[in-house]
Amino acid sequence: MPHIDIRNVVKRFDTADGPVHAFGPATIAVERGEFVSLVGPSGCGKSTLLLMIAGLLAPSDGSISVDGRIVAGTRTDVGIMFQDNTLVPWRSVRRNIELQLELRGMDPRGSRARIDTLLETVGLHDFANRAPFELSGGMQQRAAFCQAMVHEPDTVLLDEPLGKLDAMTREKIRADLQRLWLQTRTTVLLVTHSIEEAVQLSSKVCIITPRPGRLDGVIDINLPWPRDITVKRSPEFAAYVSEIGDVFHRYGEI
Amino acid sequence: MRRTQRFGRAVAFPLFFLGLLVAWELSITVFKIPRYILPRPTEVAVAARADVPLLLRYTVVTGTETVLGYAVALVVALPLGLAIAFSGLLRRTVYPTLVSLEMVPKIAFAPIFISWLGFGLLPKVIIVFLVCFFPIVLNAVAGFVSLSEELTRFTRATGAGTWRAFFKIRLPAALPQCFVGFKYAAMNASVGATIAEFIGSDQGLGFYIQISTGNMRPDLAFAAIFLLALLGLGMFGLVTLAERLLIPWDISQRRIRGKN
Ligand SMILES: Nc1ncnc2c1ncn2[C@@H]1O[C@H](COP(=O)(O)OP(=O)(O)O)[C@@H](O)[C@H]1O
Ligand SMILES: [Mg+2]
Repeated sequence: MPHIDIRNVVKRFDTADGPVHAFGPATIAVERGEFVSLVGPSGCGKSTLLLMIAGLLAPSDGSISVDGRIVAGTRTDVGIMFQDNTLVPWRSVRRNIELQLELRGMDPRGSRARIDTLLETVGLHDFANRAPFELSGGMQQRAAFCQAMVHEPDTVLLDEPLGKLDAMTREKIRADLQRLWLQTRTTVLLVTHSIEEAVQLSSKVCIITPRPGRLDGVIDINLPWPRDITVKRSPEFAAYVSEIGDVFHRYGEI
Repeated sequence: MRRTQRFGRAVAFPLFFLGLLVAWELSITVFKIPRYILPRPTEVAVAARADVPLLLRYTVVTGTETVLGYAVALVVALPLGLAIAFSGLLRRTVYPTLVSLEMVPKIAFAPIFISWLGFGLLPKVIIVFLVCFFPIVLNAVAGFVSLSEELTRFTRATGAGTWRAFFKIRLPAALPQCFVGFKYAAMNASVGATIAEFIGSDQGLGFYIQISTGNMRPDLAFAAIFLLALLGLGMFGLVTLAERLLIPWDISQRRIRGKN
């Protein structure tokens, strides 16, 4: 039984101009501890799928189950990084991370060491007491990542966390992300439109078609960990990238 | 260097203001404007000095009307704004009613209230209340309903209950927009009091301005106008101070955003 079982899931939105078929039907299985990327063109329903996995949106058809139980309402055991970060301007970086715990009724004092470790891992320990608006875009995303991880979620859902960053910062955070995943082996679903990012970070890449998104194929990435610069320069890496690129080329997306 | 720069910035406004007063003073000589049309600033100061006790007493009268009306508006409008933001029924009934009433110039009610309630404090407080009430409710509603989709979902995904979500997310997120209303109301509160006094009163700075103008004493009227300006500045200053104490993060954020 897969950890997350997405079965024939369809999402339609009712709008003023009638129903919009946003996603599906698609069937995707995610095993516990996997790092799965969802790659697809803009508007194909990737964010919608993540929201349905988190129980924040209900599928119009089909079902999503976690460990065999159907998701019927908002899940509180996930860590989500939304496309726009959820750092609040009235709290410092550290207090923003604590916000996740406080909202859950937990005492953040018990997690000081854990927060310190998280901040250390993403290189933000010197900025713990700064306000989010004093940080660069890349630092904000790192802080948002800590916020999404601090409660030790069962599943981490990342919606284009690096989309708005410059290439160099993106490389650095990818490395952080990989290190953290190798340490914790939490189940991660990453939405991205960067094929390279997907190949570098994932154990499995799901290719989503243009809207309404369906699963075009699943590619297991059999490259050694950690995937540093030497792996990225290997012919195998390039082969995966062009294999996925060819799919989108067929759809006329690239 | 830095110090002289800061000094230069600090004195720029007072110097400019003083320059304006000097220009006023001189232009009266140059253009030979008669005193009963426009007095000189120095004449205003001399006339005011002779009438200090009454001017002060009237400042207290108008100030009381202003502060009371504002305070009552705050106490009524803020909870009402909250209720509207969190109740679909109120948002469909009370809210559109308030939006349409907002179009009516509140001051138009002043003669009616004065005919009902006489020349005393109460009708003025009600007018100030009306002037302040709308910007406070409408901005509070705007503040409380405009929580971003991301923050709403983030909060839901933590499983936080209504109260915890309110105090940790919704309230602080709404405060900057609420303060837009508080400040707008503070700027207009003394306007409401003054006009209400024009329409019917036997004391206060608005009353004083009417009497002085009727007596061909614009110098005294200008003295009262100056005190009204101080009153308005005081109100605005207090609200700005509260803003600085309650949401310092918003002010620093605005400052940083403004710079780049
Ligand atoms: N709340 C909504 N109401 C109506 N249409 C929506 C809503 N959310 C998303 N959509 C539509 O569904 C499609 C998929 O959106 P989304 O999941 O955000 O795509 P992606 O994240 O892959 O770019 C888009 O066409 C979008 O306009
Ligand atoms: Mg999206």
